[in-house]
Amino acid sequence: MNRKGIDEPIKVITVCGVGMGSSLILRMTAEKALSEMGVKARVEATDLSSAKSMAADVILGQEMHTDQLDGAAPVVVGITNFMDTEGLKQKLEGPLREQGWLE
Amino acid sequence: MDLLQDVLSFLANNIFNEVAILIGLIALVGLLLQRKPSEEVVAGTLRATIGIYILFIGVEVFVGGLVAFQTIVASAVGLEPPAATATLADFLTNHGGTVALVITVAFLVHVLAVRLFNTRYVYLTGHLMFWISVVVTAALVQSFGDLSQWTLVLAGALIVAAYWTVQPLYIAPLMRRVIGSDDWGYGHTSSAAAWIAGKAGPAVGSREKHDTENLKLPRQLSFFKDVNVSTALVIGVIMLVAMAFADATVLSEQAAGYNANMNPWIWGIVSALRFAAGIAILLFGVRMFLAEIVPAFKGISEKLIPGSRPALDCPTVFPFAPTAVMVGFLASTVVFLILMAVFAGIGWFVLVPPMIMLFFPGGAAGVFGNALGGWRGAVIGGAVNGLFLAVGQALMWGALSDTAPELATLADPDWYIITFLIMGVSAPFGGGDPAAMIWVATAIIVVAVAVWVFILKRKGLERPTESVGEPGSALEEVGGPEEVLHRR
Repeated sequence: MNRKGIDEPIKVITVCGVGMGSSLILRMTAEKALSEMGVKARVEATDLSSAKSMAADVILGQEMHTDQLDGAAPVVVGITNFMDTEGLKQKLEGPLREQGWLE
Repeated sequence: MDLLQDVLSFLANNIFNEVAILIGLIALVGLLLQRKPSEEVVAGTLRATIGIYILFIGVEVFVGGLVAFQTIVASAVGLEPPAATATLADFLTNHGGTVALVITVAFLVHVLAVRLFNTRYVYLTGHLMFWISVVVTAALVQSFGDLSQWTLVLAGALIVAAYWTVQPLYIAPLMRRVIGSDDWGYGHTSSAAAWIAGKAGPAVGSREKHDTENLKLPRQLSFFKDVNVSTALVIGVIMLVAMAFADATVLSEQAAGYNANMNPWIWGIVSALRFAAGIAILLFGVRMFLAEIVPAFKGISEKLIPGSRPALDCPTVFPFAPTAVMVGFLASTVVFLILMAVFAGIGWFVLVPPMIMLFFPGGAAGVFGNALGGWRGAVIGGAVNGLFLAVGQALMWGALSDTAPELATLADPDWYIITFLIMGVSAPFGGGDPAAMIWVATAIIVVAVAVWVFILKRKGLERPTESVGEPGSALEEVGGPEEVLHRR
């Protein structure tokens, strides 16, 4: 059986207002955090308007945006520091384990 | 010899003049440098190239909506719509290759400057790296005419690199007050408005007494955070009001130009939606090629300058005061709309409300203002941004009317300053040989910025708490994230 996050990648999107500045930086932070956690993932940066239609497994963004995206993905995480890999790992660990995407 | 000539002219005409292919090549090199697997290299290169074509399509749709808006609003207030002899689409077609080379060369010069002068912050806000390169190239072409491509590339790259180096540095002391650490710098072309907000803040209030985060704003305002929605709504409402006062012939002519059978009122709504859609497409294209290029820039700078900090886009400060973002945005928008009415009333210029630039730079100025002066600082920051955008747009349209006037409606405060700086410094040398004079103007700007960097660094050294860029301390602080976590 192909297990999500372990054998096949989960779909992670990073969100900001127009999807090209801070979300791109967050994408790189998230790629680093997820690979350090050993989670297989494909990370994409996008804007608030498109995020809802992207059927993602995980949405990351600042709370100002994630507030409006509650329920748009199984895991929605708000972040404050776009460069903070360790902090992101801590925030993701619980929810990813809950979904069975992290061993 | 002839063969060499042929090869060079083939490269010049087919590679260096073709922005999409050039961007594809830059992305290709970046992906190879990151040692990506081959399928990602191919996919990323193609995505970057396609992104450029999407950008072009977006510009076309956006300009169509823009012209409709300007024509109708101008007719409603009895003015001529802003005139121009060129368009952004033409400019990108003719000079897009130069712009792509400016970004690349400027980034290398910038990394070298950060390393040599130890200025700490590496500029990584990709879309602004693109747009500032467009603006500087346009201002140089407007000032000196069409020079050889490499002259424009080198002069443009030096000016652009000077800006990327000094901008995060001069605002760094304020930025540290805003985010409470030095984990990253502020790399955004709203820096002038944010800086004024931060400097004016202490004079009007204090965060302790007047923190915006103690205010409650109506929840309904939150839809403005989606810039697609706010653009369509604000442009649409102004369009419909203007249509009521516009000349009926102008109106039916415009509507018929789009679709002869369409009711003019529906055409008005369609135009506003197309304006917003054009901006969304344009941004999508930019996003596609940035996603492939910026990680390479980040990788290169981390390798070459250990301990450097990235200078990042303005929304990275938004989590520190989300309410201040809305306060700054609202103040910006109110001031802009008042000035829109005033400029039309005195018959000066028909402004177009730039919702994205009212939101992001306005919001950032709000956050800086709040950090140093509470909500009063945030209001002043937003208002300053609105003033910049209104006056800047009215002046820059005319200034760039032979190259890319639409840039005036897409600009942040620093774009206006850079444009007028280049054109102002260039003006006295208009009489001489442009190929020589461009170097005089470039040298003046670069030397002035170098002196400024020197002064900023000395000031930083005198106050060790605000020390700017010591590689040793930067390396020691690499364990920073935990610290940040504790603070939260």
